[in-house]
This record gives sequence, structure tokens and C-alpha cells, in this order.
Amino acid sequence: MSKKILLLSSVIFLSSCATTNISELGDKFLDLINPSDAASESADLREEVLVLSDENGGFSIDELEQLTNDELIAIAKEKGLEDLILLDSDGNLQNRDQIINAILDSAELLESKSDELGSLSDDAIMEIAMAKGMEDQIIYDEDGNLANREELIEALVGSSAASEALINEFKNTSDSFVLYFAYDDTEIDEAATRTIIQHANFMQNNPSVSLRLEGHADERGTREYNLALGENRALSVKEVLGLYNLDDRVLVVSYGEESPILTGSNEEAWEKNRRVEFSYY
Amino acid sequence: MKHLKYFLLLCSLASFSANALLEVNIIKSKEVAFPIIIAPFEMIGEFDKPVDLAGIIRDNLNRSGQFDARSTDQLVNDSIDFEFFKELKKDAIVFGKIRQITANVYHGEIYVFDILTQKSLYKKKIEFTTGGLRRIAHALSDKIYYVLLGQKGSFDTRLSFVTVTENQSGGKTYKLQISDSDAFNVQTVVRSSYPILSPAWSKDQKRLAYVSFKNNRSEVFVIHPFLKTRTIKLPKFDGIASSPAWHPNGESIALTISKNGNKDIYLYNFKSKTLKRLTKNISIDTEANFSPNGKSLAFTSNRTGQVQVYIKNLKSGKISRATFEGSYNAKPVFSPNGKDLALIHRVGKDYRLALLDISSRDLTIMTQNKSDESPYFSPNGGMIIYSTNRDNKGILSIISLHNNQIVELMQKEGEVREPSWSNYSK
Repeated sequence: MSKKILLLSSVIFLSSCATTNISELGDKFLDLINPSDAASESADLREEVLVLSDENGGFSIDELEQLTNDELIAIAKEKGLEDLILLDSDGNLQNRDQIINAILDSAELLESKSDELGSLSDDAIMEIAMAKGMEDQIIYDEDGNLANREELIEALVGSSAASEALINEFKNTSDSFVLYFAYDDTEIDEAATRTIIQHANFMQNNPSVSLRLEGHADERGTREYNLALGENRALSVKEVLGLYNLDDRVLVVSYGEESPILTGSNEEAWEKNRRVEFSYY
Repeated sequence: MKHLKYFLLLCSLASFSANALLEVNIIKSKEVAFPIIIAPFEMIGEFDKPVDLAGIIRDNLNRSGQFDARSTDQLVNDSIDFEFFKELKKDAIVFGKIRQITANVYHGEIYVFDILTQKSLYKKKIEFTTGGLRRIAHALSDKIYYVLLGQKGSFDTRLSFVTVTENQSGGKTYKLQISDSDAFNVQTVVRSSYPILSPAWSKDQKRLAYVSFKNNRSEVFVIHPFLKTRTIKLPKFDGIASSPAWHPNGESIALTISKNGNKDIYLYNFKSKTLKRLTKNISIDTEANFSPNGKSLAFTSNRTGQVQVYIKNLKSGKISRATFEGSYNAKPVFSPNGKDLALIHRVGKDYRLALLDISSRDLTIMTQNKSDESPYFSPNGGMIIYSTNRDNKGILSIISLHNNQIVELMQKEGEVREPSWSNYSK
């Protein structure tokens, strides 16, 4: 072991106990002795109490975990999480953990999709509409401001339903929605390039769809580095799509090693986990 | 490169129930530890449930690797049978009493004697204002450590970590948890269906920064676990944020931000709400960590094509490479004296905890594991906590830098990972 560490951590230890004589050290501390009966020192060790209730709609994590299933169901319904509730034929809650997580996660999440659009500025909504090739549906007033905000939001929500059908159709005909990579590598090979071109064609033919590229890494190496590596993989796919001027419709995210396809510490799992996933919306 | 020689002995497998979620596994080294006796404490007052105060202290001291602390059947008070303990080859004896005065106030007395010279090394009466006996045990452990070794202990401190369990319905539950330094008194601070990473304590121990994917991308949040305030989400930077690292002054935090895809390290100031760029390179720069004096910043970068550790002098702006052995060195953290870095070093196909002497560049590999991650020093520099795998399951490991003794902490179900050690409480 490193000599230095040994020295650092045990210089006093060795000098006192290798000779089995610690009286020298002791004499130093005898000065500290206070012979009176009163406490010679006081220490404030008051426990700081965990407070989190504000965050989670009036519930602390512990409180939520102690609620009955029926109480949880009631809260979930109140929070608009009804769709998530899974009951068995006897009406018992099947996914208690998931419901607790959803209640906690919902505390800060932005509302539903249309609420999310509703919270955006006119400029932001127009930007989204233009990115989705819906420029002709924007109506300006005489000052050049958005005149049909409500209709445009409705059209955007409607268009995402229409895109969904297109995306499903493409899923049935395309070979691949996942590209794989070598260890610590972001290179796009020829086969991968062909796959990306297929996706580029789909996007060009369907201007209303947007693409989310999710980069992933295998478990080897450190988590934060892998987060960066996963993003670089997705970015190199985006770079190819950029050649088709599709940059504006591509969103890149990375999950690093946090979301593996296969668990296990072996070459097979690692190969499957070093990937970029295509996800349209 | 120097490899460690191991003489490991699987010593005990103790499993705790009740208020600890983690089981403990000690792999002892044969190197000498200080043989001492810690006699059961006399407890005066009405206690809800019996607390083995001396037992908590013994476990603390033994975990440090510096001590071989045992109990005794002998009743120890003012008269000590020194010859008896000398026969047992013990060097020192500790005993004491705790008297409850009010619900939150206790008076403690503690005595430490050198068995060979029969001299008193320390005696003290201390008034504790507290919510729990465990805190008293940790504070007393720090005192005993200081009396016998002349160094600060790391016992009255906290850990943070992330646990991951599978749900009945197939998904996962991620919990950001905090505990005492002995992994008891576990409390959940954040719970989510989405991954949580990189929890980091601010130096004053009042704030925890962490990365959450709850909005489907990595973002940095700051939580005050002991104050009734909202979680702070750092402003939406133009790019993905990750890898938070507190500046020791607590006023700012280093982050990795991916602007236009280029991952560099930035410093976010909470007061001025401004962002200052600390690295500027087309490659990946991430995993920042400040030196204890705040004057330099260690980080991981693949700027040469290999993953290596660099240190930036924040005054001169000069960046120099710190690691030269091997093709992968990452996730550096400074030791409390600023002289060493703990980091993850690749050996063949394995990723192992290693210790780098910054000035001599001497690298020491500390384990024989396959996938160590996330090292962090105890505040006295005597131990490193890190995560690793046992039987395909994530666990935490604490290694003593005195004798390489390893203590393993695990969950009965699920994984535990991403450990971080707080500074001293006050």
C-alpha cells in the first residue's frame, strides 16, 4: 500500500502504540480534565428533522408510504393520475409503488400536454407550429401578433394524433429504430448511415413529425461520463440528419447507463445497451 | 504501478434489522489495529428502548480500521482491574455513563485510561442537547478517536446514496436517501420512478444537489432536506445539465452543461444567478470536483482521445493532466487535505478504485473489483466510500486507508449506489 497514506493516517498511531506506551500522548490530554461536577462541555446534537411536505402536495414521503391503498387511490384520482391506477378483479391496487412515485413526481411536473402548450407564449407556440410545418395555419392580426392562439393549440394537439398514425405505419415498414455502437465510441458506420437516411426520408415526407434521439451507454465506466457519451452518440446521429436540414426537428437526450435494455455484466448485454433509440412524437 | 497485496479474511456477517436498511459485511485486514476495550455504558434514566451506546461506538471505531474495539463482562467504574486487561493485551479502556436530565438533555461522562501506565488519558463531563442517543454515541466516538489517535473522526456525519428497487408492476423506484455515517437512521429525501444520480452535500450540510430524469432529461436539482422550502430546480440552461459539485464556499456549484452538444464545466452562482464557463474544449469535460481550498478543480475529459483526469488551477487558468497510467481514469474527488485524488481506474476490463498522489503521480489501485464507481472521502480523509457490485447487485463499500479493511453495506432487496459523505455537522 502507498507509503504515504500509511504515514499520513498512522503517524500518531504508530508512535504511540508500536511502543505500547501511550502515556506521553495521555499527558497532553490530562490538561483537558476538569475535576468539577458540572458538565465541562456542552454539545448541541439536536437532530434536524426532515421536512418535505410542501413539495409533495402536503404529504411527506413517509406519510404517503403509510397510507392505505384506498387512500392512495383517492389522492391519485384527485391529482388526475386515474389512468395509471391498476386494479385486479377484486378491486385491489396492483401497482402501489408506481402510484406513490407518480404522486411524488407529479408535484413538480408540468400539467398535461394541452396545459403545457397553453402555458407557452404566443411566440413559442408559433415556433412549434412552424417546426411542424403548420406555418399556413398561423393567422396574424394587423400588428403581426398571433390572432388564433386557441385554434392553433387545438391544431397542434390534433396534429400530434395524426402524426401518431403516420409514425405507427413507419414503425411497421422500417428495419430499425435502434442503432448500436462500439465501446466508448460514437462512430456511425455505413449500415447505420443507411438506417439514418431511411429516417431522414420519413421525416422529409412527413413534416409534422419530430424526432427524439435517446443516447445510451453500457454500464462500464463512470455514470456521469456515460451520460455524456450517450449524448454524443445521439448527437452523431443528429449530425447525419443535419445534412438533410432536419436539425430543428430533432431533440437529443441521454440516459447514460441508467436505462439498459439488458441487465447483466457481460458482452452481450453491453452490446445491446450501447445504443441510440429513435422515438417520434 | 504498485498493486496491493491482500490478506483478506471474511470476518463477520452481521445483519441488522429495525432502523437500518443496510446489511454489513466486514472484510478485515490482518494489519494491526489498536486493541481497546469499550465497556458497556451505565445508562441512568427512562429510555423507550434499550440502546447499546458502547456497541454503536465499538462498531464505529472498528469500521475505521484503526481499532480492534471489544466489550468486557467486567463491571468497569472507578476501580479498574488493569492487570486483567493487560493480560488480554489491550492498550486502552473506555467507559462512561449517560444520565437523562430532561427529554432532550443528557449528561454524559466519559473516561479513557492507558492500561499499561494506568494513567487517565481523558475524562470529561459533557451536556448533550439531542434528539437521540445514536447522535451521542457518534459524538463520543469522535472524541475517543481524537483522544487515542490525535486526529478527527468522521462519525458524527451523514451519508447520502441512491437505492433502486423493482416494483410489483415492473417499473423501478429510485430513492435518494440520507443516513448517519454508520448507515443507520435511513430517511428518504426524494422518491421517483425516474433515475436519480450524483447526490452531493453542500459543505454546510444543509443542501443536497442531485440529478433527476423526472422531466425525461437530466437536470440538476437542489433540495434543503431539513427546511420547509421547495426543491430548487436550477434554471433551464441551454443544454443538458448534470454532475453537480459544490464550491466549498457554498455560494456556487459546478455543473456539466451541454451547450449545442459540447459538454463543458460551468460554475453557477446562486446569488447572482450567473453562469461562468470553467472549461472550453470540444471533447467531453465532466465529473468536476473542487479542491478543499476551492483553488483548483479536478475533472474527467476525453480531450486526448483517452478518458483521463485533469486539474485546472482556477487562479491561473492553467489545466494540467493528472493521470498518466492506463487508458481510463475518471470521476476524481479530492482528499480533505487536497493532496490525493480518489478516482476510478481501468485495469484490463475492470474498473477499480484507485488513489493518486497528485504531486508524485503515484497511483495505487485499492480493490480487486470489476466495477467500482463514485468514490468519496470521509471528512477526516481516513476512509473512502464507493459503490461496487456483489453477485450482480449494487452495494456500497467503505475502505479504511489505514489498513485497507473493507466494510460492505447492502440492501436486502434492490441496489444501493452513488454514495456521498457529508462534512461535519457543526
